[in-house]
Amino acid sequence: MTVAAATALRANPDRNFRYWLLTPAIFLLLLVGLFPLFYSLVVSFMRIDMMDTDTSFAGLYNYANMFKDKRLWAALGHTLLITVIALPIELLLGLAMAYLFLEKLPGRQIFISLLVLPTIISPIVAGATWRLLFDNRYGPINQVLGWFAGHPVTALWTINPHLVYPAIIFCEIWQWTPFMFLILLAALSNVDKSQTEAAAIDGAGFFRTFRRIVLPAIWPVMAIAILIRGLDLARIFDIIWALTSGGPGTMTETISVYTYAQGFKQFETSYTAAIAFLVIVILTIVVTWAIRRMGLAK
Amino acid sequence: MVTRRDLGKIGLAAGFAGTFTRPAWAESAADIAVKAAQQYKGQTITIVWEAGLQSLDPLNFSGPKWKELTGIDVKVVEAPIAEMFTKIMQDFKSGAGAYDALNVVPAWMPDLVNAGALEVLDPFVDKYGFRDELQKIAPTYRDNQMMVNGKIYGFPDDGDVFVMYYRTDVLGDPALQAAFKAKLGYDLPVPPTTWKEFDEVGAFITEFTGGKTYGAGFFRESGYANFTFQERFRNEGGKFFDGETMKATINTDAGVKVFTDWLAENKFAPPGVEQWGFVENLAAFLQGQTAMTVSWPPYGRWAAGYGTDQEVMSWVPKSTIAGKVGYAMPPGGHPELAAGFCLSVSSTSKNKEAAYLFIQWLNSEAVSLERVKLPYALRDPFRDSHFTDPGYAALWPEAKDYLAALQAGANNGLLDLSLLQTDKYEEVLRQSVSKLWAGEDPKAILDTAAGEWDAITEKIGVDKQKAIYADWASKSGAYPKM
Repeated sequence: MTVAAATALRANPDRNFRYWLLTPAIFLLLLVGLFPLFYSLVVSFMRIDMMDTDTSFAGLYNYANMFKDKRLWAALGHTLLITVIALPIELLLGLAMAYLFLEKLPGRQIFISLLVLPTIISPIVAGATWRLLFDNRYGPINQVLGWFAGHPVTALWTINPHLVYPAIIFCEIWQWTPFMFLILLAALSNVDKSQTEAAAIDGAGFFRTFRRIVLPAIWPVMAIAILIRGLDLARIFDIIWALTSGGPGTMTETISVYTYAQGFKQFETSYTAAIAFLVIVILTIVVTWAIRRMGLAK
Repeated sequence: MVTRRDLGKIGLAAGFAGTFTRPAWAESAADIAVKAAQQYKGQTITIVWEAGLQSLDPLNFSGPKWKELTGIDVKVVEAPIAEMFTKIMQDFKSGAGAYDALNVVPAWMPDLVNAGALEVLDPFVDKYGFRDELQKIAPTYRDNQMMVNGKIYGFPDDGDVFVMYYRTDVLGDPALQAAFKAKLGYDLPVPPTTWKEFDEVGAFITEFTGGKTYGAGFFRESGYANFTFQERFRNEGGKFFDGETMKATINTDAGVKVFTDWLAENKFAPPGVEQWGFVENLAAFLQGQTAMTVSWPPYGRWAAGYGTDQEVMSWVPKSTIAGKVGYAMPPGGHPELAAGFCLSVSSTSKNKEAAYLFIQWLNSEAVSLERVKLPYALRDPFRDSHFTDPGYAALWPEAKDYLAALQAGANNGLLDLSLLQTDKYEEVLRQSVSKLWAGEDPKAILDTAAGEWDAITEKIGVDKQKAIYADWASKSGAYPKM
């Protein structure tokens, strides 16, 4: 602001002027944020499906259909399954690794950098890479297993119903455990050492010290990490799309994969909007509950 | 020393020269298109083309040539085939008019026409005198893939058809033939003409060679198996729907037999065949690991080594079986005209006339012949003159037999199912195949699939879909003439 403008403002102290300055930014945010949300809500009450010319008001038709759609509920179940398995493993592994790297080790910085590498890879690229690694014909995983087994192994990792979930969860853990590790390492580094040393002098064991001193100290950070990863897992798409596309059949179809298939392969635009709102409602309830439960709202 | 390959190249070059130095008194559809298009010099037309090898045609050959002849630039928008329909529909729905000309899979045409995304081409065809040359497209493609509701919406431009490829040295091995006769009590058929024969020959080869050469390789990955299911189901006598009620009938004995036979065949195919698509099957065949397979035409060219010395083809495994491959109709005798492409004009194009002239020129007798001979592109012969072209027949020693097999396929081929929202029906088939490999019961899978097909039909409207199906089923390539 020039000196002249500042003087003019002082001379005429219009308190609303600052709000006028903010208006374009607020308008832009509403335009790109809230408008699509409300428009999607409107679309979810219509009959738009890309191919048809009848786009009239459909009332609760799309929402009623969701309750009859077994594939949708199965997809939600698959998402939940992956989340409840992958999230605790990532948390425990990340915590263990963070403890390991808490000590001053030779080459610590280099190891930490290397361990974090999977996290910076695009998930779709990671998925495509793992698909190659799991390939039954040219993939090294079957080859290595074959060396141990003493005979060729032709495991169909992305087709066999007994192997496909372990494959997906393994990839997920491989890529995102470093994220947990990094955040928990930062949290552990900030734990007051005098308290843990005092506990050790008083004869407290590792688990007692962890439960009584370390966990309360790192809990706010750990809760945020759990929340972020939980939300990521709830919308898991890339790795599954690259590895199995939701197959075999619809066995690994998560809610994001199903929504994508409905929206961009089947062109069920209104139904997809309704699914998106169902997901928003479910996640809002879960996140609100989790925030209260974890004490993050305090 | 001039080899036969060189003679082929010389022939190609001569044909090329002939195409573009034709005298004015013999005006072809290509010449007419070029002359008329010169008024649009300086403009740019945008065409949607499948990404990968397919698009090397407009990028390296036809696009630059069109620019040279007319001064019109050709911008190629590449998209994977799975995304092309979406892109075309999105452009149409938004009204952006970003695309002028389109590559369209024939099975998509009812949907695109129903939506209004394609321009009717009849007025252009008459205006620019293309009707006579259109008549020279092989009847299967011309009569089945060009029109919707009696109007022309696309020019069939790719003779995609499944052909059976078999190793003449393996099936012709006297020791193997003798052992086969001793075990099965009849002469080994070269090539097998029924699926029963195919399966017995395939299983025997795997057993006889101890897996050194497997009896056969297959497309089993669900995206590809959708086509092979459609082919085999109809060769087994199956019908997709009851024409009266529009109830799905894919769960009849024919469908269950196809799935059950597939499971049995996988046992004599290489391990992991359930995951095989185009590249896996190709690699195994070219490396001599499988004795028989069914696939699109490029397998035949590449197995003979034609064009694979080009840099863009470096990903194609070196053929170890050149000169040892026979071509025939797949068992059952009615191959799938799987996918394919038509050239169309977008209804939202702002350069419709220029776009039309470009596709007329591409599809014309003279230019299309050069395009189907491009060693790196994937357009396959689709005109009567392509099948009998001496230049093509000289490209490799067995090319004449190859062309004969493609022509036989065109004459007996089966159309992909084409209804309103075809992809929804195909998606159910793809998932069904995927469930089969996951170990589910064939009959249960197909019962579920039939139920899902019925639900799709009901959502679209039974009467509406019934009319479309009746139109499709009346076409010569819908079902085999038993």
